[in-house]
Amino acid sequence: MRFILRRLGFYVFATWVALTITFLLPRLMPGDPIGGVLQHLSPAQIQSNPGIIETYRKLLGGGDQSIWSAYVQYLQRVVTMNFGISTSNYPSKVSEVVGRTLPYSIVLVGIAFLIAFVLGTMIGMIAAWRRGGGVDTLFVPVFMALGAFPAYFTGLIVVYFLGLKLGWFPINHAYDNGSTPGFNWPFVSGAVRHGILPALTIVLAYAGGWVLNMRTVMINTISEDYVAMGHAKGLRDTRVMTRYAARNAILPPLNGFAPQFATAVGGVIFIELVFSYPGAGYTLQQAALGNDYPLTQALLLVFAICPIVANFVMDIVNLILDPRVRAS
Amino acid sequence: MAQIQPTLDVPEAIAEPLAPIEPGVARKSRFRIPGWLRLTLRNPKARLGLGIVLGMVLLGLVAPLLIDASKATEFSFDSRQAPSLNHLFGTTDQGQDVFAQVVWGARRSLALGLLAGVIATALAVVLGVFAGYVGGVVDDLLNLVTSVFFVIPTIPLLIDVTAFLHTRGMLTMALVIACTLWAFEARILRAQALTLKNRDFIQAAKVAGESTRRIVFGELMPNMISRIAAAFVLVFYIAILVDAGLEFLGLGQMDKPSWGVALYWATVNSSMLQGEWWSFLFPGLAIGITVLGLTLVLAGIDEVSNPRLRTERGERRFLRRAA
Repeated sequence: MRFILRRLGFYVFATWVALTITFLLPRLMPGDPIGGVLQHLSPAQIQSNPGIIETYRKLLGGGDQSIWSAYVQYLQRVVTMNFGISTSNYPSKVSEVVGRTLPYSIVLVGIAFLIAFVLGTMIGMIAAWRRGGGVDTLFVPVFMALGAFPAYFTGLIVVYFLGLKLGWFPINHAYDNGSTPGFNWPFVSGAVRHGILPALTIVLAYAGGWVLNMRTVMINTISEDYVAMGHAKGLRDTRVMTRYAARNAILPPLNGFAPQFATAVGGVIFIELVFSYPGAGYTLQQAALGNDYPLTQALLLVFAICPIVANFVMDIVNLILDPRVRAS
Repeated sequence: MAQIQPTLDVPEAIAEPLAPIEPGVARKSRFRIPGWLRLTLRNPKARLGLGIVLGMVLLGLVAPLLIDASKATEFSFDSRQAPSLNHLFGTTDQGQDVFAQVVWGARRSLALGLLAGVIATALAVVLGVFAGYVGGVVDDLLNLVTSVFFVIPTIPLLIDVTAFLHTRGMLTMALVIACTLWAFEARILRAQALTLKNRDFIQAAKVAGESTRRIVFGELMPNMISRIAAAFVLVFYIAILVDAGLEFLGLGQMDKPSWGVALYWATVNSSMLQGEWWSFLFPGLAIGITVLGLTLVLAGIDEVSNPRLRTERGERRFLRRAA
């Protein structure tokens, strides 16, 4: 219990830091962010939304109030999710844009990253168990090479061969034209088919890290006495591998899951761009290019909070799996 | 300062014969090249990686002799050409020469990676090692800062920062990237400093009345130098990847040749959908090969400091040669 409370305290602190960073960034950077945003609205659009300039001021700075009262007002805006209007998606509100795009990213990254983790640790486990064997000599160098290439480059290659040359899967957008988002068959089946190539790219890009990580830990675990004892008891080889060696070797990679997830959340932006996938990452890129600072601010917050939540979930999983954490 | 990296337990006698890197020089400076570096240079992975990276550096250095920089950015009517002798890597939609983009891009990426690596490593060494050794409030504070950096994703943060920046030159970007990457490097080095802190030679120095500054820089750091080198290589290639990534998103310096910008235009002009594979393949390969080279160097350093990581086949060869 104390462990959970301590971690919870840390995550509250991290969230506060993320809030403060998003508050300070537009105020510390050179230039005039409000002017940049307003350039993208016509005078008529500004006039038809009274109070819009005031909203942007509260988010991005400017005006003549003290920094403390500005900070309080900013926090109020964030808590009520009032980020004003997104200029690159006029006339949608920022909160609407985030709500519309985020589910695509979460489902895509969540599923693909989990597959990458399971696949990667399994390959790493076998590679370490039979060092110098088939899996070790084939997969380890291949994944090491794949990990060196940026994910978007792997994505472009995947698009070129599987999407364009072979025409197996659709190469952009998240669902078929004409289907309406919701729980209906045309949309769900279309979404799955559209998601396959981006998910494959994520798996190819991130599985390699897990392979190397698991292999390294597993090699160290194999020389432990309890593994030798497992063999001496005459247990089957696979049983010693999975229940004795891997069960203990999985803990460090599992601890690395959450920080890796933060990297993956960032990396998915590139993959979404390659596939024109209408997720939060693609939207962030469009917003950054179009000076849509209120939207970049909101999305940065979302991108910071997702890994914090994931970290907390992993802490609880860790608590269940590792008795040592429970004891402390 | 005879203490080399303590994790090295490979006896001199069974080590492979000296690498064929200018034998005369190597023998002469036998007592100046530190042991871990000599072992790293003998490691096949590290040697391959170093070769790749040096090749890229050379390519960047001789770029002015190979092709004019303006060919990489200026438009011409010679567009959409497949690779040929005239245009070694073909040309883009706007007629820029892809070969020029690759060789001139090497300059930006490598210089940026080097600079960001140096800045981040300097910060990480001073703060990380110091905090790890001193402990207490300084250490708690550093630990807190790096933990927060760990959960806040770097790429979205950098996108937000660069969206506000109006100049995105090499220096600016190196500085911005180094500022976001130093924390995780400091974390690695801090952990290493913690394991060394209680060793006898550090305790001895403490008892002998050495100042903290002297212990940190004179005793701890020389013994961590291989870890510091590894962390430097890590930041080096992550910086290259991050910078190219931001450029790929369109947040780069559009009028200067670079790998990421080349990839950005290839995507924006959907060159790939029109079958012009060369405009994204070559810049992408350039990034991948450079990073692969650096990863191999890193793997080499890791294998030297942790002999267990070597494959059994490698070890057998190792022993056979010794026999």
